[in-house]
Amino acid sequence: MNKNQITCEQAQILMMGMLDGELNAQQKKQVEEHLDRCANCAKTYQAFKKLKKETSDMKLKPLPEMYWDEYWQHVYNKIERGIAWILVSIGAIIILAYSVWQAMEQFFIDPMEPLSMKIGVGALVLGTIILFVSVLREKIMLRKDDKYRSIKR
Amino acid sequence: MITEKDAILACQAGKTEMYRTLVEKYKSRAYYTALMYTKNRDDALDLSQEAFYRAYRALNRFNPDKNFYTWFYKILRNVCLNFISRKKENVPISDGTYPGAVLSERESRPDEIFERNERSAAIENALDRLKETDREIIVLKEFDGMSYNEIAETLSIPLGSVMSRLYYARKKLLKELEYLNE
Repeated sequence: MNKNQITCEQAQILMMGMLDGELNAQQKKQVEEHLDRCANCAKTYQAFKKLKKETSDMKLKPLPEMYWDEYWQHVYNKIERGIAWILVSIGAIIILAYSVWQAMEQFFIDPMEPLSMKIGVGALVLGTIILFVSVLREKIMLRKDDKYRSIKR
Repeated sequence: MITEKDAILACQAGKTEMYRTLVEKYKSRAYYTALMYTKNRDDALDLSQEAFYRAYRALNRFNPDKNFYTWFYKILRNVCLNFISRKKENVPISDGTYPGAVLSERESRPDEIFERNERSAAIENALDRLKETDREIIVLKEFDGMSYNEIAETLSIPLGSVMSRLYYARKKLLKELEYLNE
């Protein structure tokens, strides 16, 4: 075999580049030469070419114009609400943490209580508040975006 | 005219309105890609919009010298795949574990992606029978119109592998079409 000649398998893989216009001049020449001398690969190439044409001819079903008109507004609303949710979450965490501080102030300022206990209780309470706000937010958002509302049980 | 890079830089500087340039440019591709996954118009609209929102949130970490759509596509794909797996977990259909669960008419009848004719219906059916990875590379090339470079970047595979992956995927598609024609 001439060193410029390619195998059937190489030719069939390169055919993809030929169909998609992604081959350089040398690769294109190699494939064309192979197709000239290999009837089997030439037949395979025709099948791929037909498939390529058929997929290219498939027309995407157009979406009614009103959906495109509203599209950006929906994305913008999501962005805006995302920022709002972050602010609401931060606000809720601060208010709840402050309320807990008010309720447990005596414990935290009591010099008899060990510092490690205060840190532990503080971390536990703050963690619980953040988890509570996060789960609550998720519940509200999931209910809003629930994809399974239409499922009848 | 505003370039894509200018729009990204403006968004990174906090000008949310400039994100519209990117959304308007890619909304159609994003919607149809999501539709290929979900087969449902409303879900495809919602998921593609959700992907744009998530991309916006992550935009500060994006290098504006890179290709926006290939980066965005990865987010979109994750959003769609998560949605599908959540749906599979939540909607066991007639497997006996959830005998009362039935899909509404809207959910059970997939929306059409292509203008209907006999041949496109056959190709669509054959595509549905392919493995996810095979279908994806064909969709990226044929319906998303990506170049080999873009496909390599999107799928994080070497450029040299794109042609061989496409070859095996198309070969399987031809086989499926032959099978469906029998």
